[in-house]
Amino acid sequence: MRPIWILAKNTFKEVIRDRILYALLLFAVMLIGLSLALGQLSFAEQERISANFGLSAIHLVAIALAIFIGSNLVYKEIEKKTILTILVRPISRLQFILGKALGLSMLIAAMTAALAAILMLVFYGLNMKIDERFAIVLAGLFAEALILLGFTLVFSMFTKPLLVVCFSVGIFLIGHWQGSLQFFAKKAEGGVLPAVAWVVNHALPDLDRVNWKDLVLYNQPIDMPGKLMALGYALAWFVFCVCISAMLFKRKDVG
Amino acid sequence: MNLLQVEGLTKSYKRGFIPRKTEVLKGLSFSVPAGTVTGFLGANGAGKTTTMRCILGHDYADGGKVDFFGKPLDVEGRRRIGFLPERPYFYEHLSGVEFLEFYANLSGKWKKADLKARIDQLLKRVDLTFAKDRLLRTYSKGMLQKIGLAQALVHEPELVILDEPMSGLDPDGRMALADIIVETAKKGTAVFFTSHLLHDTERLCERLIVIKGGATIYEGSTDALLDRGGVEFEINFVEGGQRKQHKVPTQEQLQPELKRLLAAGATIIEVRRLRPTLEEIFVNMALRGSEARP
Repeated sequence: MRPIWILAKNTFKEVIRDRILYALLLFAVMLIGLSLALGQLSFAEQERISANFGLSAIHLVAIALAIFIGSNLVYKEIEKKTILTILVRPISRLQFILGKALGLSMLIAAMTAALAAILMLVFYGLNMKIDERFAIVLAGLFAEALILLGFTLVFSMFTKPLLVVCFSVGIFLIGHWQGSLQFFAKKAEGGVLPAVAWVVNHALPDLDRVNWKDLVLYNQPIDMPGKLMALGYALAWFVFCVCISAMLFKRKDVG
Repeated sequence: MNLLQVEGLTKSYKRGFIPRKTEVLKGLSFSVPAGTVTGFLGANGAGKTTTMRCILGHDYADGGKVDFFGKPLDVEGRRRIGFLPERPYFYEHLSGVEFLEFYANLSGKWKKADLKARIDQLLKRVDLTFAKDRLLRTYSKGMLQKIGLAQALVHEPELVILDEPMSGLDPDGRMALADIIVETAKKGTAVFFTSHLLHDTERLCERLIVIKGGATIYEGSTDALLDRGGVEFEINFVEGGQRKQHKVPTQEQLQPELKRLLAAGATIIEVRRLRPTLEEIFVNMALRGSEARP
């Protein structure tokens, strides 16, 4: 466990000392700030618009970190050959993958928390109610980022970062269109659509299962068992993807 | 006892748009005994770096056997080896101290208080104390090479493997690195390294392994290899007020020749043993193709 933690801390430190992160953070803060201004344009919906914009900004940053940083997580180590000195230490390749994944997960959690704190200040300024719904929505955003990080890791085992980003964005889009796809598949009478929808439904994650922004936006009631099930679903996808990555990485030539 | 034993190592890669198999290692065998400084030589493309990758498990060999400390490389074995890759790139976001702490912690050897003392000692040895808090992205190539060597030694390994440790260093840096290698070997750590700088290799290594085309063409002592190139003796003497020089082709002829010169009233100034340099022998063996099997 100790080597995983050491690698995770190093990965966290590596990204936290990268200027790109701060550009992303600045972008998110500007979006949150913009949410205030846009909210003021609306007479009746200011709170909802501000909340929607703010949560979307956090969502975007979490996903961008998972996909863009995740696509380089292992590739950069191989490309820069830093991995050569790591893998001769008493650690396994599985521990290496787990350490890298944990480090980036910790970073996404920290960034989500930091941006959430800023958004809470906005909510406080607007006299909006902040309750457990807010934390549940953030947990959902984090869970979605974890799923995408898992897929990004798998893709990065056999292709270059640019393609990894394309594939992962594809997973993000399909993951959010699952509901619509299943809806149209049900309406379709024959053809290939139902078969395609069945395959997509079983082979790829449904990211809308952890998208709970409506809880805050429309003050919906909390279905806690359902939420916990969905978090378990996300965690299962993440663990599955990390295992696949570790299996692929185990036989990969890295020299 | 052999710290590293390689037997019949084979490795091929598939390259090109339409992949073609290129056989890089063709049954390579050699060993690295304890307490020695062993040089690993070969022309460009001979398979040195591939060998390093395969023995350390970075790449998977197609066949053959690699044993460290008498068994395949496992977690315990990795605690006992240190490695510096060719043209090292390190985590640029870390300072010198953080970098060494990271590798020492991964090796799991040191307690916090002891680790600080070990890092201070190493930084002093590689002459980087002044830059210990600077990020590695501000280090020069020579400084990176030195901190790289320090990371390979931080956990006090029994075997250090260095891939081109002196490439790109100025003479001063090469000398400093050579001193550290000698000092490390004196403490009982075996050193196994590749280098293109044959003068340094000749000076540092008591054993040599030369490979060509993915197979071993020489393994043995450096002296034995140098002697293969032929030895002759040069006598410098003064006779009749004039300084003269005379060459003797064998050791057996040396003493009679010296006696003859002394009897003739000559003053012997110097007797030198002449043999080809490692560079000359290496060019013959590894580049021109004449083999020198033991």
